[in-house]
Order: sequence, then C-alpha cells, then structure tokens
Amino acid sequence: MTERPLRVVIAEDHYLVREGTRRLLEDTGDVAVVSAVGDAAELLEAVEELRPEVVIADIRMPPGHHTEGIAAAHAIRAGHPGIGVVMLSQHADENYAFDLFQRGTDGLAYLLKERIGELDELLRALREVAAGRSVVDPRIVEVLMGSHTRAADAPLAALTRRELDVLRHMAEGKTNRAIAQALVLSESTIEKHVNSTFAKLGLAEEPQLHRRVSAVLAYLRHAPRGRG
Amino acid sequence: MRGSGRPIRIAALAGGLCLLWAAATGAFLLRNNTVTLPWILGSVLPCYCAGLFAWWHAPASRVARRLLLVGTALSVSIGIRYTSALLTARHGWDLTAPENGLPSLEASLVVLPTEWVNLTVSILVAHLLALLPDGRFHLRHERLVLRSLWALLVLPLALPLARVPTRDVEYAVFYYPEAWLPGIGAVLLVVRCLRARAAGRRDIAALLPVAVAAAVLFLARAASRLFRPWHGEAGALYLIGAVLGALPYVLISLSVVYAAFRYRLLGVDIVIRRSVVYGTLWLIISGWYLGMAMTLGLTAGQYFPIGLSVLVAVTATALFQPLRARLNQLAERRVFGERLSGFELLVQLGSSLEHAYDLSRLAPRLAAGLQGGLGLSWARVRLGGGGDMPVHLGTAGRRPAGGTHGKPAGGIPLRYGDDVLGLIEYGPKTDGRFTPEDHDVVETLARQAALAVHNVRLAAELSTRVNEVQRQAGELDASRARIVQAQDSERRRIERRLHDGIQQDLVALVAKLRLARNRLGRGGDIDAVLTEVQDDAYRVIDELREVAHGIHPPVLTDQGLVAAVTSRARRMPIPVTVRIEKSLDRVRFALDIEESAFYLVSEALTNVLKHAEATHVTIRITRAGGWLVVEVSDDGVGFPTGTTRGLGLTGMRDRIEAVGGDLWITSRSGGGTTIRTRLAERVREEIHD
Repeated sequence: MTERPLRVVIAEDHYLVREGTRRLLEDTGDVAVVSAVGDAAELLEAVEELRPEVVIADIRMPPGHHTEGIAAAHAIRAGHPGIGVVMLSQHADENYAFDLFQRGTDGLAYLLKERIGELDELLRALREVAAGRSVVDPRIVEVLMGSHTRAADAPLAALTRRELDVLRHMAEGKTNRAIAQALVLSESTIEKHVNSTFAKLGLAEEPQLHRRVSAVLAYLRHAPRGRG
Repeated sequence: MRGSGRPIRIAALAGGLCLLWAAATGAFLLRNNTVTLPWILGSVLPCYCAGLFAWWHAPASRVARRLLLVGTALSVSIGIRYTSALLTARHGWDLTAPENGLPSLEASLVVLPTEWVNLTVSILVAHLLALLPDGRFHLRHERLVLRSLWALLVLPLALPLARVPTRDVEYAVFYYPEAWLPGIGAVLLVVRCLRARAAGRRDIAALLPVAVAAAVLFLARAASRLFRPWHGEAGALYLIGAVLGALPYVLISLSVVYAAFRYRLLGVDIVIRRSVVYGTLWLIISGWYLGMAMTLGLTAGQYFPIGLSVLVAVTATALFQPLRARLNQLAERRVFGERLSGFELLVQLGSSLEHAYDLSRLAPRLAAGLQGGLGLSWARVRLGGGGDMPVHLGTAGRRPAGGTHGKPAGGIPLRYGDDVLGLIEYGPKTDGRFTPEDHDVVETLARQAALAVHNVRLAAELSTRVNEVQRQAGELDASRARIVQAQDSERRRIERRLHDGIQQDLVALVAKLRLARNRLGRGGDIDAVLTEVQDDAYRVIDELREVAHGIHPPVLTDQGLVAAVTSRARRMPIPVTVRIEKSLDRVRFALDIEESAFYLVSEALTNVLKHAEATHVTIRITRAGGWLVVEVSDDGVGFPTGTTRGLGLTGMRDRIEAVGGDLWITSRSGGGTTIRTRLAERVREEIHD
C-alpha cells in the first residue's frame, strides 16, 4: 500500500478546507498533492499539465457556486478516462450523486465533505476511483434505502428485500466478502443474491466488474423515481 | 221653454229633416240657386249641430234648448226657402209677395212662415245671449224687454195690411231684427253682468268681458248691415254681408260648445269623449270656412270669367286654410289641453332617457309620458330583465283586467343588439286610432329606452368590476402583509435555531477542546475526547445543512423542481407515490414558479405529517395547456371545509396567488385532503438531448 504515493490534485475554493485537506492527506504519506487550486478552470488546467491519478474536487466552486465540480468531473472523465475523481459535496441530497453518475459510475466517487474526517474512508475512495471503480457516500445510500417513495415502473420492484439489501451494500462499493460480513451471511449466499439480482436486472451477460457497476447505477437510477 | 223633452225632440227632428231636404235640394235640384248654400254651411249647420250637441248632453239646460231651437228654426227657414224656390222653378208658382198689400194665398203660405221663423230666430238669439249663463230671467227689465220682442211677430201680418211696400216689410221684418237683436241681447247681458258684479255674484260677473266683446261686435255688425238695403244682394259688399251675417251663429255656437265643455256652462259635468267636443268644434269651424270660401268664389263669379273665378275661389280656399288650421289647432289645444306632439314627446322623454341611471324611476315616467303623450288608455313599461338584471315596471292608466280588453293593442320589445332589455305594451288610444306615426314614436322611444337600459347595465357591470378590483386590492394588501409577517417569523425561527442550536453546540465543542488540552497538559489520553469532538462537529454540520436547506433547498436551484420534490418525498417517513410527467425532467421553470410549487409541496407534506394521520401520500405534477399543475393528496383524517385556519393554508394561498396561481383545497372529515395548485408555466430553460 505504501510503494508509491497517489498523485492527487485538490480543487477547493475555501482556503482553510483546501489547505487542511492537503495537510491531512500528505500527512498520511500515501498521497502526494501535486497541486491545490481554487476553481474549476484552474483544476482543468492543472489536470492537463500534471496528469494526476486522482482529483479531489469540491462540488461548489466559483464563479457560480452551483455544480461546477460535477461539470469539471465530467470533463476530466471524458478527456482522461484514467483519472479518477472524488467529488466532495456539502449536499446530502442524492440528486447531486445522480447528476455526477448520469454518464456512468466508473472512476467516480460522491462523498460528503465531512468524510475528510474519516481519513481511511477517504483514502479507500481515492484508491477505488484510481482503479476505475465507484464509491457512493453511505449517507446517500441510507436516504435511498430509507425512502418510502415508489414509482410504478421501478425495475427494482422485482427484487426481494434481501437482494435489495445486498444491492445497497454493493452500491456502497463493498466487496461480496464485506457484504457477507455486514449482513452476517456466508459469502456464497451473497454470491447467489448478487447473481439473481443481475438476472432480474437483465445484466447476466455482462462482464463481472461491469455488472456490479451497472447494478449500482440501476439502483441509483431507479430506487428513487427514475431520471430519464 | 218649460215644455217636456218630447216637443223639443220633434222640433229637433224636424230641423234635421229640413236641413237634409235643403241640402239635397240645393245640391241636386236647384243647380243655379247656389247662393244660399254658403249660408247653410256657414250658419245653419254649425248652429244646428252645436244645439244638438248641447241638448244631447244637457237636455234640461235652457241654453241648450234655445240653441237647438235656433238651429232648428234656421233649418226650417232654409227648408221653406228651398221648397218655394223649387216650386217656382219646377211648377211656375209665383210665390213672391206683391209690391203692396197682402200676398196671395199660396204666396202667404211661404212668405209668412218664413218671416215668422226668421223673426223667431232673431228673438231666440237675443234671449240666448241675454240670459247667459243659465237661461233664466233674473231681472225685471230682462223679462220686459225680451218678452216684448215677441210682439215683432205681428209685423209680417200688420205691415202688409197697413199697405207698407213689400220691400220695406221685408227689411222691417227680416233684416233689421236679424241685425239688431244679437246686439240687444249682448247689451242686456252686459247690464246683467254689471248688476251681478254689484250684487257680488262672481260667476255671472265673470262673463262681463265676453258680454262687452259680444255687444261691441254685434252692434258694429248691426250698424254695418244697415248699409245692405242700399247695396242689394250682389257685389263685393255682399261678401262682407255674408260674413257678418254668419258671424253671430258661428260665434255663439262655438262659444256654447266650448264653454259647455270647459266651464260647465250647461250646468252638468259633460262626461264625453274629448274627441266629440273637438269634432263638433271642427265641424263648426269647417262649415264656416267652407261657406266663406264658397261665398268668395261666388262673389268673384259675378265679376270675372269662370276660369278666373275658379282661380279666385281656389286662392281664397288656400288663404283661408291657415286660418282654419290655426282655429282647429286652437280648438284642439283648448279641448285636449297641452297635449304633446310625437316629436315633443320624443324630445322630452328622450332627454330624460339620456341621463337615466335609475330604472325604477324611469319606467313609470316613460309609461306616463307615453300614455299622456299619445292619449293611450294605458301603457306599461318593463325595463331590464333577462340575465341577472332586476326588472323595473312602470304602468300608467288603468289596464282593464282580463278578457280581450286587457289585451295590449301593441307591444314593442326593447332591443340592443341581440339582447331583449324590456318591453313596452300599450292599450288602445282613448280617442281615435293608433296611427303609423304613433307606432314610430313608440318604436323610437323603445330604441332610446333600450340604449338607456344598456347604459345602466354597463354602469352596473362597471361598478361590480370596480368593487371586485377594490376587493382584490384589499385582499392583495392583506396577503402582502401576511407574506411579510410570515417572512419575519421565519427569520426569527432561523435566528433562534442558529443562536440556540448551532452556536450553543459550537460553544460546547470549544469547551470539549479545552478539556482535551487540559488532559493533554496532564499527559492523559485524549483520543476519546477528540472522537467525541469530531462526532459533535458532524452533528453541527448536519444541523447547519438542515438549517440551510430550510432556508432554501440548494437542489431546487441547482436541479429544479422535480429533483427537489422527489428529494423531499424520499425523506417522508410514510409511503409517498410520486407521479411526475416525463417531460418535466428536462424543463426548468421561472425561479418564482419553481419555488412556489416546491413550497406548496413542502408545506402540504408538513401538514400531512402534522395533522393528517395519513398512511399514504400521492404527489402529482403535470403540465396542461400552459399550466403547471401540482397536486398533493393524502388518505388522512381530513378536516371539515371552512376550518382551514391554523393549517398554514392561508400562507399557501398567499404564496401561490402572489405568483398569479390558483389554489384549491378539498377535504372532508375522514376523507383525506387534496391540495391542488395551478401555476402559469413560465419556462426558463428546456434541456434537449
């Protein structure tokens, strides 16, 4: 884990948060912050110039203070599929996560800003997106799972309660083993649930890794009322 | 004069027959003898008609009887004269009196009655005038003078016996009394009036001006007629003689008829149609007019060739025409009072219609104007009605109840465009026939009245709208005040949450950090304290996020209504079904619309949690015909309509109406609640893929 530090660029308009995050990450020794910028334009420039492995971006940056971070993430992912993006957001609203994931979940993470305090979680997310995988903040998943909303055409309606539980853990980026631990079940049982979930979602023919992401995506898109 | 009705009736009948006979004879049998026809028309006919009229309506009146007797005597006289002329012309009888001495037996059969009748006429005229207005003797000298006049009847016999020349007899018997006696009668009347005034009898004294005028007129006439013997019955002076000869009969006839009607001369209330009075007056005036015109024509015929005389006659007729028209108009005006002509009616009522804004007063006024102005038996005007206009009725005259009498003679609806705004109905005219001109008058008035009603309707609509606008303005003020109030209380709530919640939490955090430093100073383990501080900091962040979200949900600004509503719905602790039209995913509406719609959903969901005890909520958002329709319905306990206070519904309504939307709330106890709003769809941005 410590062979070579991850090359990271931080984009955050708030000086204290930016420098705090940089110090925190560099302190671990696992991360080399190659640049820390204050807005999306600078971020894109830094990415072009420095080609980091991962970008940590604030969702809300100058000039509009809306969702400049998401737009930058899409641009980076489109230009450099090898660069992962961890979106740090002050919004515990799942709609922002949907927005981030609307073109695919690969190499993207949506974390609440306070996860900076959970250093291990943050480092894990950096490594996941650097490997092209995806992470969603547990808080978002919690909202979605706790939601009582229904949509008549939800593709997840066919899933059993246990399958939904498994899918929820999958959406949190957990492996089958981690899910088995969380649900206190055997790993083979989890495997069975995962496969039946894929079948019910029509993903049986897809490659393993891709299937997992697609299932999460389906979950994100359809557990609440779908978008599009 | 005291006789019963029968002799008078016989006399009247005889007079009428004589008049007919004379007229027929004069017109058809004695073509060359037209000299006396003007006399018939100018004197005999008016007098007979007036007498008949007066006696018919007041059979007991002495004045009426005397007038009828005068008319009858004149008729009999003319009858005898025409008979004798016929006998002379057809049978060669010589009915003229000899120069001297008594006439032959046949001649005396004609001459004597004629002269007696003529004398009687003159004496009766004197009586008639002298004894006005009641026909009774009041004074001794009246009785003496008038009674002694009857002695004149001896003359036709006495003078021939005394060998007076026939021509002189004729003047003494026929011309002099005829000329003088009306004057004598008028003078006696003057005396009577003067004595009455001295005695304080006002009714008779009031006649004095008439009496004086009559005396002057008739005495002057008598004086002028004295020249007649020297002129004979030809020439231009004959015309003057004829005019003057007819004068007393025409004037007396007119006066009696008019006074009978106007001043109760005959002592009874004449309950008769005004048109009959007017007709009689008309007959008298027209007869006189015809007589005069004919006389003029005949006079001209004696001097000029026939063509020229016809021209003169026509000119004379034309010249007399305005005089006759004026007299007729005068008679009409006096009989019918100040009756309005159709034009005057239009002008008078039309101007009151122009300024009419009070239909309840206009309707009776219009009805009365129509009834009086056109002489209708009744008129009824209905204004308004149709739609939501109140009806105003006005009725003038008495409408006979039921039957065919009560049926209107006509009805004209008040139309404005395609609208019927009322009705004018009327009964038949009291006198005469309803002419097309009358119809035009009513129709014109109906048009004007329709316009007036239309104006009133417009004014009413205007005032309703003004009231509505004022009410809305008041409502707007109240709603604005409520919005400001709601904003202020919301600010206070946020301020409390920041100060009493988050600030206190941060103070506690500071205290815990201080505690950690103390422990560190003592070389203790501070890991547990720092973990606690971090957890506390997470809670503060959460709390802060919630407060910020409460002030304004960022997802609404960043992602729009659909995202914000679904996000809100996901956080509901009870099942929520969200149905949102697909196309809405890609639309961003104007900020105020999105905010109002979200606010409504959010408030409605809060209400559901607070009050409804519902197990399920459905949110529907659709677009329909340029409107964004948002509906939140629950299956909770509901509330009886009318008890919406304290549920924040007024705040919702204010908020929705402030952006020009509508709000409907339907609820009933145990039946759930549905809150539905409709907002004008103002699109800010539409995302196309």
